[in-house]
Amino acid sequence: MDVHSKEFISSNTPELKCEFGALSRSDGSVLFSEGESVIMASIYGPVEATFNKIVIDKASVDCYYRPKAGVPGVQDRLRESVIRNICEIAVAISLYPRTAVLVNVQEMQNRGQLISCAINAVSLACLDSGIDMKFVFGAVSCFLSNNGELSCIPSINEDTVKAMLVFVFNNTTGGIIASHTEGCFSIEQYKIALEMCRKESRNVFKFIKTSLLAADKL
Amino acid sequence: MAEEYKSLHPLKYYRDYFAHDIRPDGREFADYRPVIVNVGSISTADGSAIAKVGKTTVICGVKAELCRPRPECPNKGFLVPNLELSPLCSSKFKSGPPGEEAQVLTQLIADVIENSRCINLEELCLLKDKLAWCLYADLVCLDYDGSLLDACIVALMACLRSVTLPHIDYDPALDVKQTNLQERRHIAVHSMPLACTLAIFDDKILLTDPTVEEENLSSGSVTVVINGDELCSVHKPGGSILSEDQLLDCIGKSQARAKSLQELINSAVNAANKMG
Amino acid sequence: MVASTDLGFFLPGEVIKDIESKDKYTIIGPGLRRNEEDPNSLVATQAGRLTFRAPNTYWIESRRNRYIPKKGDLVVGVVTKKSGDILKVDIGCAEFAWLSLLAFEGSTKKMKPNVNVGDLIYAKLLNAHKEMEPELVCVDQYYKSGRLGVLPNEGVLINITLRLTHTLLNAENPLLRTMAKKFPYEIVIGVNGKVWIKANQAKDVLTLCKAFEAAELESEKSIIEACRQHK
Repeated sequence: MDVHSKEFISSNTPELKCEFGALSRSDGSVLFSEGESVIMASIYGPVEATFNKIVIDKASVDCYYRPKAGVPGVQDRLRESVIRNICEIAVAISLYPRTAVLVNVQEMQNRGQLISCAINAVSLACLDSGIDMKFVFGAVSCFLSNNGELSCIPSINEDTVKAMLVFVFNNTTGGIIASHTEGCFSIEQYKIALEMCRKESRNVFKFIKTSLLAADKL
Repeated sequence: MAEEYKSLHPLKYYRDYFAHDIRPDGREFADYRPVIVNVGSISTADGSAIAKVGKTTVICGVKAELCRPRPECPNKGFLVPNLELSPLCSSKFKSGPPGEEAQVLTQLIADVIENSRCINLEELCLLKDKLAWCLYADLVCLDYDGSLLDACIVALMACLRSVTLPHIDYDPALDVKQTNLQERRHIAVHSMPLACTLAIFDDKILLTDPTVEEENLSSGSVTVVINGDELCSVHKPGGSILSEDQLLDCIGKSQARAKSLQELINSAVNAANKMG
Repeated sequence: MVASTDLGFFLPGEVIKDIESKDKYTIIGPGLRRNEEDPNSLVATQAGRLTFRAPNTYWIESRRNRYIPKKGDLVVGVVTKKSGDILKVDIGCAEFAWLSLLAFEGSTKKMKPNVNVGDLIYAKLLNAHKEMEPELVCVDQYYKSGRLGVLPNEGVLINITLRLTHTLLNAENPLLRTMAKKFPYEIVIGVNGKVWIKANQAKDVLTLCKAFEAAELESEKSIIEACRQHK
């Protein structure tokens, strides 16, 4: 069930690839690569919640981010909290009170756009699991080089990158669900990056739809 | 009567106020709470500051230690922030190892330090691959009433401005260190990043400098960190969906706030310097 | 049986306009919700193909794998706990379902059926509200068991995808009939994806499992085609 994005994405954006059902036990799983960053994501849910995590009017979302090597650190906690917050707004959690939705993210390879790759992988895993969602979310990373150029592909030399901006959009209104940045940049650059990423997000949603369609035919 | 109404229907209570364009504590949507900064409050630390944003109180102390630089960056020292959210500041925190919120905020503070390059870590290195300063910036929240990151960053920046390090005579051949405690010097703080938190209420109302109640009832939050003329972080972890205009509105509001906070820290640090 | 029509592929959040239901009265199935802004349209909440059955029923054929209990569903479950008159049954959803020992045919306070932990139950969902534990019964509205009750110990329990249960339970689907021509077997399919099989030989059970595994990856059309060739 491999799907490539080559057919409709130009060369100056990262290539997207995904494989659904990569894990047999989870309700939804995906192996997703954006450029050269690779993430495996899986969803269990709704499942029984542990006693101290029960919320009476909605499902509790738990995210577990595992780095490539070693135990999760403080940085991974931040990623977990961003992914969890996005899932809480996108998944229709009020439909499953007193249950838990478990989101597992395993980093496989990091070449810059790790956060957007992880968010997109979670989005695809949610869709694969068939859990009810209010909308689909898609993330785009954008890199600002030292000479002020914006690009969606990370530079090979890390030192030339001045800032990285990640935006998460929804597929219905194109509103901004999340924004995460690293490095310094001007407001003007932020605006341009936002516009660029919004345009690029349409390709991400197109990719999500094409890949699900391809998986559905099988 | 109002108290009962508030505890039974907290959301409705707030909505009723917001319908009249005012917040329960008398502020308008874009108003801030008063900020108090006190520098040099802990005499045993190498630098310290207390910041109060409304009722939110954070104390920051910097302890300097000498250490060996890491082999992967031999010409850099360290600045390690750590935020402690003890049961003292709010009943939602338990004692023991840091919880998720403390870890997330610690990482955000570390990101702000790194992104803004307010401290040049190379200046903390005394001798390449041999000796460097390691600054532990310990932040302790004493009272939690919303906009914690704002207070943390104000405390941290005021604290870093007040840090003085003793002069070190180091003889690499004999590996002998001599500390001259009389001759203390300030460290160079190159920029002053300042954070501004906004809560999104009912997907449309933007509340600057929210209290903890407003944060709990809000549907999302945005934190903008301003570093001089530049932006250093626009952190929106999920929550309500914003349009581009709303997000840029948040940035605009934060810029005005950062300017006033910067003046406040400057005058607090200058006053402390004159005294001491 | 009225044929259902495929109206294209939708993602969550996408709005479905031009609803053709009669008298503006629409029945919506899984994967859809009403649009609050425009009463004449629906919003998808799952990714899948929108399907319409005249006169007014819409639903989304999704790839859901986790069973969500619905009132009236016939499910297969495993008894996991027995305390007093209450059995807790694992039916594959977030919570254990609740089954009273008095909800069996002919059961009274003094005469209770012999059910043990680990037994398989074929039961009907009496209650499936999201705010409450699902409740099972093994009798119909006339207090007769029909085919419900404890399943014999000789069988084998397997899990299949929810989509395949829908395919197999479709009366027009020839897969089960085609297999029955090869060897005799008994089968109970719960809509929760749990299937109980009993056959004379272990080989036959494995053949059935293999057939289901293959069918999971095939479309409905190709299953029918494959069955025709084996006639």
